[in-house]
Amino acid sequence: MPRWAWSLVIPATAVLVLAFVLPLSLLFASSFFAEGSFTWASYTDFLSSSASRRAYFRTVRIATLVTLAAIALGYPAAYAISRITMRWRVVLIALVILPLMTNPVARTFSWLVILGREGLINNLLTALGAQSVRLLYTEGAMIVGLLHLFIPLMMLPLISAFENIPQDVVPAAQSLGASQAQIFVRVLIPLTIEGLTIGATLVFTGCVTAYVTPAILGGSRRLMLSTLLHQRASTMLDWSGATVVAVVMFATTLVAITIIRRVFGVFRSPLGLS
Amino acid sequence: MQKLATFVKRACYVTAFLATSTVMSAAISPARAQVAISTWGFNMDLINEHITDTFVEQFNTEILYDLGNNADRLTRLQLRSDSPEISVVELAPTFAIRAMREGLIEPIDTSRLENYNTLYDWAQDPLTGNYGVGFTVYSYGIVYRTDMVDEPITSWQDLWRDDLAGRVSLPNVTTTQGLATIIMASRAWGGDAENPDVGFEQLAELSDDVVTFYARSSELVSLFQQGEVWAAPVLRFAWGQLLDTDLPLAWVAPEEGSVGFVNTISIISGAPNTDSAYDYIDHRLSQDVQTALALDIVDSPVRSDVTVPAELAEQLTYGEAEIDNLIFLDYNYLLDVESDWIERWNEEIAR
Repeated sequence: MPRWAWSLVIPATAVLVLAFVLPLSLLFASSFFAEGSFTWASYTDFLSSSASRRAYFRTVRIATLVTLAAIALGYPAAYAISRITMRWRVVLIALVILPLMTNPVARTFSWLVILGREGLINNLLTALGAQSVRLLYTEGAMIVGLLHLFIPLMMLPLISAFENIPQDVVPAAQSLGASQAQIFVRVLIPLTIEGLTIGATLVFTGCVTAYVTPAILGGSRRLMLSTLLHQRASTMLDWSGATVVAVVMFATTLVAITIIRRVFGVFRSPLGLS
Repeated sequence: MQKLATFVKRACYVTAFLATSTVMSAAISPARAQVAISTWGFNMDLINEHITDTFVEQFNTEILYDLGNNADRLTRLQLRSDSPEISVVELAPTFAIRAMREGLIEPIDTSRLENYNTLYDWAQDPLTGNYGVGFTVYSYGIVYRTDMVDEPITSWQDLWRDDLAGRVSLPNVTTTQGLATIIMASRAWGGDAENPDVGFEQLAELSDDVVTFYARSSELVSLFQQGEVWAAPVLRFAWGQLLDTDLPLAWVAPEEGSVGFVNTISIISGAPNTDSAYDYIDHRLSQDVQTALALDIVDSPVRSDVTVPAELAEQLTYGEAEIDNLIFLDYNYLLDVESDWIERWNEEIAR
């Protein structure tokens, strides 16, 4: 590569440093200072408040559940899509992408129509003679909404991972006497682990940082870190408290990414051979 | 390369044209004084018609607006406190008291306001120390679905009734009326603002039967529309929005009394052009402006000489009976207890 080519990186780097690295570092630094002196106070405040702890554990719990559910639903579907004829594959991939192209507010509001007291499910229940139940403003509603929002991010990398597996790998394994279970664990999973890692990372970090869906489907009583941050910053004007939440969110995603890579790394060695 | 040169040339022409036309228009229109006002921006067309345009006519001064919600605007005032460009700020009382404590607003010389003495007592100095004058009032009552709730709701205590379980929404503690909710729950069950324990206990008990804690009045409107909520405590200014849903709704002034909120208008510390600032405040409080805004259901008046027809009065906080029923809060006290109460609410109620 000619030396001048490095200069092509400068504009993008400058933008990132100015718009991302710099404010983020300032944010991080400011969370340790109150009235000009160094302090852990805003962090101990966060840890000592049971409301913040509840929001933290709810965020981790919901993000984990949504990630697992996205794998459970997305993995078989991605496999099926990668095995059908090209014409249908294009149609189905378009359907997977479609939710990403709708406005998140509109998409979330459609859940109000389904889960509401006079929504689709409750109307069905009352028509069958049952009592209507409260579905909105529960963790269940938040999980369903986030799953809907992020499942494309799980499926797209998986579809491309499956597409990259040569068609004759599975017959080859069969001819060598591998059982269905062995093919799944020792052939398919190792060959798609990169897609799974990317998908799980995107879904988990997406859940931690999503705002619109938890705000609308969970409301102010089921606070997640993102909605807690908004409450601190824009209604209480507690900027240092809000900064702590932002730092905690950032740290949580970093830790989660490391764990995801470690856990999936177990399957990484190709064909189960090390 | 040829193309680029043409483009640059064109860009220069356009810039030159824009520059000359700006200079020309500045030269043509007579230099008018300007005053900058920070306010919400709701009903801006009506505000412009009744306040902005009439102010230019009377005082030959243009109004520039800084618009946004209380929190955003307060943050901007904090950031510019060294050299403020804005002269006057309109805020909800809980935010005004914050601005006062931070030294962002200064006491008003009320002798400079012709309309000051015509105001209701409670509008004259709601923040104490003359840091703000009330320019509108709204009460805090209860709204319910008359088709779904058989026995009429008449009091705060009724919100704890079994037939409403799972159908009640309360405001979130961080809203303007959040702390007032704790006070009213306390009053309903034998406490008061200084003894809120019983209110916290009762709200904690009610919490499981609360659908959600609403953060904005628009959120509550859709909760009613979706049939999610049958009853909720509401600020009067949202009543018009609720009536627009065409649902069978009733407004209740609860037996325990209605809290009255007074939005205030204040002068920024070290503000430019204070003469115009005083003119603006006086204009905002004048009988003409107060009447015009009341007739268009923008703001309820804070002076008793505003006359409104009965069918409109229903949508405002208006009339002797309603005004006499109002309870006014000590906002200084509220700001003192605010962070403790919010923390306690998050621990005991919103779980």
